[in-house]
Amino acid sequence: MSDAIATARAEGRTLLSEVESKELLRAAGIPVTEARLATSASEAAAIATEIGFPIVLKIISKDIAHKSDVGGVALGLESASAVRRAYSEMLERVLAAAPKARIDGVSVQQQALPGTEVIVGATTDPQFGPVMMFGLGGVFVEVLKDVSFRIVPLERRDARQMIREINGFPILQGVRGQKGADLKALEKLVLDVSKLVWKRGDIAELDLNPVFAYPDGAIAVDARIVLKAVDADGKEG
Amino acid sequence: MARAAKSVAAKSAAAKAASAKSERGMSVPRARLDRALNPKSVVVVGDKGPGFQWLSNLSEFSGPVYSVQLDEKEIPGIEAKGIKNFKSLLDVPGTVDLVICAVPRQVTPFVVGDAIKKGVGGISMFTSGFEETGEPQAVELQARLVAMCREGGMPLVGPNCMGIYNRRLGVKFTAGQEKGTGGDIGIISQSGTHGIGMSLGAQRAGIRVSRTISIGNAAVLNECDYLQYLRDDPDSPVIAMYLEGTRDGRRFFNLLKETTKLKPVILWRGGRTKAGARAVRSHTASLAADGAVWDGLVRQTGAIPVHSIDEALDAIAALVNTDRPRGRRVALIAMTGGQSVAITDHFEREGFEIPELSKRSYDRLAEFFMTIGGSYRNPFDAASTIGRETDNLRKILEILAEEPIIDGGVGIELGARGFDTDPGRLNAQLDLLETYRKKTGLPVISMMPVGGAMGGDELTVLAARNAATARGFAVYPNFERGAAALGRVVSHFQWLGSK
Repeated sequence: MSDAIATARAEGRTLLSEVESKELLRAAGIPVTEARLATSASEAAAIATEIGFPIVLKIISKDIAHKSDVGGVALGLESASAVRRAYSEMLERVLAAAPKARIDGVSVQQQALPGTEVIVGATTDPQFGPVMMFGLGGVFVEVLKDVSFRIVPLERRDARQMIREINGFPILQGVRGQKGADLKALEKLVLDVSKLVWKRGDIAELDLNPVFAYPDGAIAVDARIVLKAVDADGKEG
Repeated sequence: MARAAKSVAAKSAAAKAASAKSERGMSVPRARLDRALNPKSVVVVGDKGPGFQWLSNLSEFSGPVYSVQLDEKEIPGIEAKGIKNFKSLLDVPGTVDLVICAVPRQVTPFVVGDAIKKGVGGISMFTSGFEETGEPQAVELQARLVAMCREGGMPLVGPNCMGIYNRRLGVKFTAGQEKGTGGDIGIISQSGTHGIGMSLGAQRAGIRVSRTISIGNAAVLNECDYLQYLRDDPDSPVIAMYLEGTRDGRRFFNLLKETTKLKPVILWRGGRTKAGARAVRSHTASLAADGAVWDGLVRQTGAIPVHSIDEALDAIAALVNTDRPRGRRVALIAMTGGQSVAITDHFEREGFEIPELSKRSYDRLAEFFMTIGGSYRNPFDAASTIGRETDNLRKILEILAEEPIIDGGVGIELGARGFDTDPGRLNAQLDLLETYRKKTGLPVISMMPVGGAMGGDELTVLAARNAATARGFAVYPNFERGAAALGRVVSHFQWLGSK
């Protein structure tokens, strides 16, 4: 069991923080942007200097589901002093918007270059158990629900086909003279998530949203993992 | 003869490997299921007059039939049918392979108890009023039956079902089901009505239904057991299923994936499972609607999805009565200009290509084709050419048979006008189509719309369609259904070849 899961279990939590989720994903060989927890403005600045600029800060709190709604996201920070200032301002904003929220700190992250946004997810279907989803991010998933599903574990063919069967697939192939997305990298990412979910068996839900797809490679920028609940006997329910 | 399916079923090595594992995961030992689904003797418990539907359904059954009925009012009627009645299942002589149970629900535990004591092969339970009612007592009663059957190793079909139809043995659950040899398709249905609909509908299209199993509440035996059984059944080279859900999603997924490698499986999913009160904390979970996951299942397993009885029967006809397409490039022959545009639209919508033919073909066509009021570019606008001289259809089909670009076969609008006075014309055309499919091994999809200029009135068209169906052609009442049916078949075989 990885440290992230052990910590969450010890605290009786099933929802992993973004930092914990990414730790688990990185250990499984899934590309994620680097994210580390800072609990003070100076620690945030130090981590940022190590990771390299530009930097993104995101609030970490079990009580906050939608970070941007409470001002819990700061983008495009270009220097250590900007990070320090953004850290303090963010805490003030979040506590003003959600005074009762318990705050664990701030996730300091490398800001990825913008790419085509896709979503890769997993959940537990009541009939079939673990299933995976693929779709284009943003309005495609929010409004058009243009997503495809497969039952875990996936074969190579399933990953190939689920990426190609969404209506928005031409966007991944490249439009208006833009280069297409690296489909091989997306397929590998989907298969690696399938492997992780299948092998562990204790992941109830997983969102990589968004994943940035580039002409060369793909990387998960945000991640959220929910573990299966554990009952009194220590069995997963 | 299951034409499209035949080549797949020929993978007998794979089939053998599968059947070696065939006990795996089954709810009851396979031998028990075998006995229940292929009974040599049947007892009906609780049949009632005036119809005595269950005893009547067994009038062609090849083995002994007995009745168990305590109600003195019913017994004379049963004996008048020449069937011996007993007061208890335990009094019936010899071995009993199948008990058809039609008693009121409160009596069912006694019947199951006696069946276990007697050592019968299996029980098919028509009786309803169990889990499907949602009443706590009814749910409990079903649980009691299940516990008894599990402990006694008793295969229970249903309850709340029509039970089993077995073509070879003449075990039926509706009078219209045929007795005979062989089989082109086996059917599994969670709904009795859709089971009957598919069973009789396929039969009407000249297709031999080997078995139909109406699974009802699937309390002991479930859809997975039946699918596993039909996977290994040589009389069922194609399988069609109607399901509203699955009792064991994992097993169903694995079985379906295995089975489609051996034979085509048509899956008609009706209804939606309620997700239940689940706390959903991710985006993915909120989008994992039941239908979306089933769509994924279909795509992942290579099952052939249909959404209505018509689509199911259309797909069955295309799988059984056409050859296996090798690709999506088809030749389309319509009778008039307007219809040649319409037929092309429909086939293109289903992902078919209607390619230009070779210069050699065009040169040969130019020798006889009427280009005034007609066209042969593909699609063909052919009434003036064929109407004048049926032999011209022979020439067209010969040219198409030698046309290498066509790998998906021929879709043809058959005119029914005049069929009432001269059925010979249609037969002559069907002879030519028969030659085409023998020569090429490619599908022929016949479409006989009422609306076409060559259609004729409703009754004439119906009679003509039936005549073509009886000759083993896949016949459709319009272009969209013909195109969709062939589309499903070609998608399935392309999926099998995909990596």
